[in-house]
Amino acid sequence: MAKVSFRSVWKKYGELAAVKDLNIECADGTFLSILGPSGCGKSSTMRMIAGLEHISAGDILFDDQRINDMAPRDRDVAMVFENYALYPHKTVFENMANPLKLRGQSTDRIRERVNAAANLLEIGQLLRRRPQELSGGQKQRVAIGRAIVREPKLFLFDEPIAHLDAKLRAHMRGEIKHMQRTLGTTMIYVTHDQLEAMSMADLIAVMHDGELQQLGTPREVYNQPVNAWVAGFVGEPAMNFLTCEVQARRDDVLLTHSNFALPLLPQQVQRLNGHAAGPVRMGVRPDGLSITMRKPSEPVITGEIFVNELLGGDMIVDVQLADARIRVKTAPEFEGVPGEACYVTVNREKWHAFDVENGRAFF
Amino acid sequence: MASREVVHYETPITKALRWFSVAFIIVYLIWTLLPILVMFASSFKDLLEAFKIPAVGDWAGIGVFFEFTPTLKHYNDLFANLNFSSYILNSLVAAGGSAVISVVLGSMAAYSLSRISFKGKNDLFFWIISTRMAPAVAVMVPLYSIFRSLDLVGTLPGLILAYTTFNLPFAIWILKGFFDNVPYAIEEAQMVDGATRPQALMAILPLVAPGIGAFIVLCILFAWNDFLFAAIIGSGGAKTLPVATRELVQPQNIQWGSIMAAGVVTTVPMMLLGLVIRKYLVTGLTMGAVKE
Amino acid sequence: MTDTVLSDQSIPGQSQGLFRVRQITDNVEARPVPSIATEPKLNPPASRAYFFGLMAPAIALLACISLYPFCWLIYMSLHDVEIGSAVWNNFENFTKLASDSRYLNGWWLLIQYSVMCLALQIGIGVFLAVALNGARFEKILVTTLLMPMMMAPIVAGLVWYFLYNGTFGWYHWLLQSVGILGPKSILASTGTALIGIVIVDVWQWTPLITLITLAGLKRVPQDQLEANMVDGASQVRNFFAITLPNLYPVLVIAVMLRFMDNFRFIDSVLALTGGGPGNATKILPVYLFEVSFKFFKLGRGAAIALTLLVVTIILGMILVRVFDRQQTRKA
Repeated sequence: MAKVSFRSVWKKYGELAAVKDLNIECADGTFLSILGPSGCGKSSTMRMIAGLEHISAGDILFDDQRINDMAPRDRDVAMVFENYALYPHKTVFENMANPLKLRGQSTDRIRERVNAAANLLEIGQLLRRRPQELSGGQKQRVAIGRAIVREPKLFLFDEPIAHLDAKLRAHMRGEIKHMQRTLGTTMIYVTHDQLEAMSMADLIAVMHDGELQQLGTPREVYNQPVNAWVAGFVGEPAMNFLTCEVQARRDDVLLTHSNFALPLLPQQVQRLNGHAAGPVRMGVRPDGLSITMRKPSEPVITGEIFVNELLGGDMIVDVQLADARIRVKTAPEFEGVPGEACYVTVNREKWHAFDVENGRAFF
Repeated sequence: MASREVVHYETPITKALRWFSVAFIIVYLIWTLLPILVMFASSFKDLLEAFKIPAVGDWAGIGVFFEFTPTLKHYNDLFANLNFSSYILNSLVAAGGSAVISVVLGSMAAYSLSRISFKGKNDLFFWIISTRMAPAVAVMVPLYSIFRSLDLVGTLPGLILAYTTFNLPFAIWILKGFFDNVPYAIEEAQMVDGATRPQALMAILPLVAPGIGAFIVLCILFAWNDFLFAAIIGSGGAKTLPVATRELVQPQNIQWGSIMAAGVVTTVPMMLLGLVIRKYLVTGLTMGAVKE
Repeated sequence: MTDTVLSDQSIPGQSQGLFRVRQITDNVEARPVPSIATEPKLNPPASRAYFFGLMAPAIALLACISLYPFCWLIYMSLHDVEIGSAVWNNFENFTKLASDSRYLNGWWLLIQYSVMCLALQIGIGVFLAVALNGARFEKILVTTLLMPMMMAPIVAGLVWYFLYNGTFGWYHWLLQSVGILGPKSILASTGTALIGIVIVDVWQWTPLITLITLAGLKRVPQDQLEANMVDGASQVRNFFAITLPNLYPVLVIAVMLRFMDNFRFIDSVLALTGGGPGNATKILPVYLFEVSFKFFKLGRGAAIALTLLVVTIILGMILVRVFDRQQTRKA
């Protein structure tokens, strides 16, 4: 088990920088998820930790020991690959035994460890099969099994469940989280799926264009995104963005848009910090909005229902404004029909304002 | 994809085309197999019988082809008087030696080329492949003069080196394609699991072993069937089967019986090997450009 | 964000024609973040000695047996080379080529020979592949077809020399009986000898074209064929509209490979005619062989070899380009 630190880590491929000036401290036993879209540098980051790629600049430390120049085998990490990377010519047992065998463990010890791991993952009955005889979910368990037979300092999971179907993915999320809790090993988990990161991680590092955007707990990343990019990337359905004007009127400071003019809360005015007038990007998640067909007394956004999507327990309503469309989460009993006028109220505790130029969050 | 059942709707044209195709296949098979059949049959015939042929236009006389008493005397002759067993050995050593050298060195190089990129890699690659494509005679002019000064002409090592000029680039080129198809992730997984780089390479060898085996065979085939290099570089001390066969053609006395027997001896092993590596033949013969 | 909505009734007053396409400008992800400007101090580069070490023996050996001879070839081509001596001769080897009628004739014959071989091999080979594709016994038939390719070209040449013989050759008998040929062997008269060697090449290498085409046929996308059929094409039209264009890349490769092989291999020609009668089949590589290893004019031979090599390398470059295009298409 280990603490992992990144000190100004860069990965450059020729002139192209895939990872830029990355600084992360990941305490012992933490489940850290590196989250970002494809091409954001998250896989390069993971491969640098594993020793599969050269660290172009900066240092990575395990427990304050610099590991830059160590071969993968000396780093004592275990990794699960996106495509599982099982050895096709070996049985499940041999696949799982491989790391122990390479480290010269005794046959008895190997059998004991492999069986224990297989039991934990409920694949005991598959040990004699070969990878091509397994389903995707089974392969994935074997790949995880290969990682946990040893007691490594660190687990590295590279999008391990991206290729499973939705139902199995949901199941595996829980299992992986539980496994990490049980073993207590530090885990670095790379994914492009914000739901995976949100549901499993203790700490999320959101990356974009090779740069770390935000490092925080799932709650922080969801509720207090540092910039508009993070706000837009995290959360499903995605956050609504509207370009608004800040206008001071008598005692209030208002956010105005062709469809509405809503006052800011006092603490939010403070956070605007001098940005007294001019355009900002307002962001609000679908669950920060509510919709009615009858005009309420408080200030509202007026629009027209574009389409309804019933998602079982919830309903998402797309509302057409003058120059934009926003999505609102509501109860499935909502009875609006596309084409009708509707009224959307904003929970102002939950909205955000971002700088138009650099996307930084005011609140 | 190929296994999908395609429905055919017959029209007179497609029907006619189909019959024509069948007829064409039959005619083509006869024409392609006949020379081989003649070679086999003639190698078992007495010369007088081998030369027997019906009068021009006498179609009914084709039967004389099959009228003979089989004899092994030509084969006897090859081994008892013409020293063919030592030529077989030469062929084996030269072809086998160059194939093993080429594939061993070639797979090391192919593996590295497949796993890293560096400046000038494409130029290096083109140089390798152009070596293989150069006309044999053109390569031989300087090679002959160099080998002569090194006393390599007429020796088996010289011939092995000469064969390596075309087998090594072939092996590098083809095997690189092979290694490219093995996901790097498997080696990476090995290394994370605790393997050294050489151990990781050993771990993926079982995956490429069938291909490597097939290309050893293909290299043997190319070298075994070669005549030009053997005739010039190997002349004298390292006479191989094709050269020995060709030498049976003498201005005044063409020993047809022995030639046919020698042809059989040269051809049959390669036909059998060809069957064994059938799966890789197209890939090999098209330098990896076409895969079955 | 551009939304295409396939109905024109959801919002009254906003529909324009059958398909309504509407520009939505605002509901997009926010802008990118400012990027880090400073350049890092780089760690020492990763060692790749392991890979270069693995590569070294093969590259070194290849340099010894191909690069060094190539330089030697250039050197020889500029000298009068006798056994043990070389005298500078002021490009005479090259200047003489221009007036060497057998050299020029060699090129002309090589082109004739290659074009004839290729036309026949492609024609027969492709038709055969189409006929065989999906036929009953396809596997066995194809395997049978392989046999000539496995034969040493020199042996093939000798067997055909036997078959062509004017007094006891079966093939000669056949041609004579059909009435195509007189009593003189096909190889014995200058008018037909070239055709004689073409036939042998066609016999030996048409199966390769068939195999390549078959591999190509297996990869013609079924869905394209089906789509075209549903759109109303007949099977014959389907072949020309879908199958043939899909075969085109493999056929280009096949043509290039065979073309270069015709430059590379002269074994069967040596066995059949040795370049005769007269110079009727003295294609350039045969002439080169004769100059270098019959008359041992190695300097002159080197000059000829160099010209042949240059043309082959140009062909090779085109071929590699085609290979690459195939690879990228696959990716």
